[in-house]
Amino acid sequence: MYETLKKILVDTLKVAPEQITPDATKDDLDLDSLAFVELSMVLGKEHDLHISDDELFDMETVGDIVALMRERAGDRP
Amino acid sequence: MTGLDIAVTGLGLVTPGGVGVEAGWAAVRAGRSTAARDPLLAGHEVTISCRVPDFDADALLGARRAVRLDRFTRLALVAAREAVAGEDLRTWDSARVGVVIGTSAGGGETFERQHGVLLADGPTGVSPLVLPMHLPNMVAGQVAIEFGFRGPNLVVSTACASGATAIGVACDLLAARRCDVVLAGGVDALLNPLTMAGFARMGALSRRDDPATASRPFDVDRDGFVAGEGAAVLVLRRAEDARADGRRVRARVVGYGATADAHHITNPDPEGRAVVAATRAALADAGASASDVDHVNAHGTSTQLNDLVEGRVLAELLPSGPLVTSTKGVTGHLLGAAGAAEAVFTVLAVEQGVVPPTANLTTLDPRLDLDVATAVVPRGIDLALSNSFGFGGQNAVLAIAKA
Repeated sequence: MYETLKKILVDTLKVAPEQITPDATKDDLDLDSLAFVELSMVLGKEHDLHISDDELFDMETVGDIVALMRERAGDRP
Repeated sequence: MTGLDIAVTGLGLVTPGGVGVEAGWAAVRAGRSTAARDPLLAGHEVTISCRVPDFDADALLGARRAVRLDRFTRLALVAAREAVAGEDLRTWDSARVGVVIGTSAGGGETFERQHGVLLADGPTGVSPLVLPMHLPNMVAGQVAIEFGFRGPNLVVSTACASGATAIGVACDLLAARRCDVVLAGGVDALLNPLTMAGFARMGALSRRDDPATASRPFDVDRDGFVAGEGAAVLVLRRAEDARADGRRVRARVVGYGATADAHHITNPDPEGRAVVAATRAALADAGASASDVDHVNAHGTSTQLNDLVEGRVLAELLPSGPLVTSTKGVTGHLLGAAGAAEAVFTVLAVEQGVVPPTANLTTLDPRLDLDVATAVVPRGIDLALSNSFGFGGQNAVLAIAKA
């Protein structure tokens, strides 16, 4: 999941890969609310992971987002 | 007479001639068309355009920034950066710096692409960035964000007069002392399928087979314009301030005339009455008479109607016979950027004492009694006009004088 998230951050949001670490915060990566809407859209459309932008925005770090992605993937029927 | 006297102290340009003032001016002086077959218009009625070559937005602006900008804003930001490149922005009072940019339609590429997404994927597929990318006002907002300018921030839209109108509005802001510096210019990047289909359907575009000879202003065989894209930004200050600060003044904007034909949605008034009025207003600002005009950078689109009406107005109004050129023979018609790019070319013509050629002018329309440059002509220029006219009958004439 970490690599999935990293790939979206790099390919779609054009975050520099060297900036992305599990401890990086949204401020570290300069991610605003619009970026989380984009992230939510890509996760839903391309990875069948349905997480709202508000849920994503509430996460503090990249690691937190990855944990939420794992949790949501586990919820799948 | 208002005695307008605004110094041009910086220039930035992105045109089909290339990125930068030097590349654009070299292309115009060379007099070779930049038009080419456009792969993105395959299957269209008209398949030629003038695109900015080798524009690598990721390299110029950074991928993180560029991905959130429509192409029109990317072009304008690069032009704005060049315009202020010689400045120490830390010395500027940011609250007194304005930005006025003209654009005819804003981010048309984004709008069209996202409309496709809406139709294919429904509303939840639409990017949250569609509005910040396509809204016309975003270009001036992004320039302000880029440099931290907190003065008046405006976008004007007068179709293909937009760039010239923006410069005129900026001059008014400076003359009224609402700002001390204004970045003014124009931009459009509308070579997207919908816009191009619209131009083709209204019969505005050239349908000649050979791209290189398609844009031919004032030629007897002209048959329409070639659409282009680009951006131009000028740094403007009151001339008295520029002189007091010992700045290099490239040229001065000494007059601005703005009028409306109030005639038709696309066709110019065949009598050209509002164009005459705009020209007279610009000359009145300058405290000059018609016989003082040495050079005109004409709107000169290469359409039947524009060139006939404009050419007749110039011949009747300026009997001293200034040397006329249309740089659209080289660049194509840059739409909302045209008036600003041509103001830059006029500044350079005045500064360097040369009139650039009108590409592809082989046989002057016999109905026109004009002296049109077909090669680079060295000529001392004290006063020049730059004409811009837009669909809807909106006209802007700038008078540009030697520094």
